[in-house]
Amino acid sequence: MSIIGDILATTRDEAPDESGASVTYLIRKANVSHVRLSKILEMLVQQGLLEQRSSDRACKYKISDRGREFLQAYRGFREFADNFGLRI
Amino acid sequence: MQFVFEIILNLVGFLVGIVIGILSYVGYKNTGSPTLFRLTIAFLSISIGFGVVGAGFLTESLVIKSGEIEPWVQTLGIGIQTIGYFFIAFSHSIKAFFPKSRYFRTLAIPLFVVPGNSIEHIIRSISFILLIYGTIETILSYMANKKSSTVFVASGLGLLALGEFLGWYSVVFPQSILYYVSISTKIAGLGALFVPVSKVPLTGMKFGGSL
Repeated sequence: MSIIGDILATTRDEAPDESGASVTYLIRKANVSHVRLSKILEMLVQQGLLEQRSSDRACKYKISDRGREFLQAYRGFREFADNFGLRI
Repeated sequence: MQFVFEIILNLVGFLVGIVIGILSYVGYKNTGSPTLFRLTIAFLSISIGFGVVGAGFLTESLVIKSGEIEPWVQTLGIGIQTIGYFFIAFSHSIKAFFPKSRYFRTLAIPLFVVPGNSIEHIIRSISFILLIYGTIETILSYMANKKSSTVFVASGLGLLALGEFLGWYSVVFPQSILYYVSISTKIAGLGALFVPVSKVPLTGMKFGGSL
């Protein structure tokens, strides 16, 4: 769950350019393997939380409006769980 | 209406528990987090437990009027609350399956050994141990995070544990003020749990979607 939060936050706040963040950039930020990140990205795109933008060179990922709402909710509930000394 | 105090206190416990339980459920539906699912079960169980005891007192004072609540109703309510305390402790046990503190082990083991004359004694002792465990784990989390709101949760769980302990003694000394102090302490504990929860900015979110 925290990896998902990190990926969404990265695509929202730290994307290097307007077109979104590349897989390589996300691997470095989320600190996960390529295989695992690919599965997570696929799931996030299917859920409508990320938008996939293909270009000649590589796929880039940008957070969607639904993703922004989810990220806001995630942070609220992470705070909620933190209060109990727990991690969501 | 000799049970008015018990009815009010148990109603407050029911309401506080259900509000935190619903917030946890909303969080679970939005994020799919197993931790929030466990907190949902925990607080809904605590709420239902208070509700059962409160309903027992209400039924007794309005319908049966025998002057004493049925013992099995109280045992059932406390048992349901214990399930809730178990899930709070279980959520912490995911982080550390067994408590690392040697102090906790020495504290917990004799309490399991104390002979109980009834199921209620045993259930209360289990609740107490689970709550102490939850309190210790929350304090450890505070020491790691230095998040002030975690202190409220630790205090809340600690007060619930104290309330259970006093409730245990009130069985030994029936008709004493201990029972009222026990329930009041538990309500104060639930209130302390509610303080940080009420500060979480949960407004303005779109609910309904889940991962």
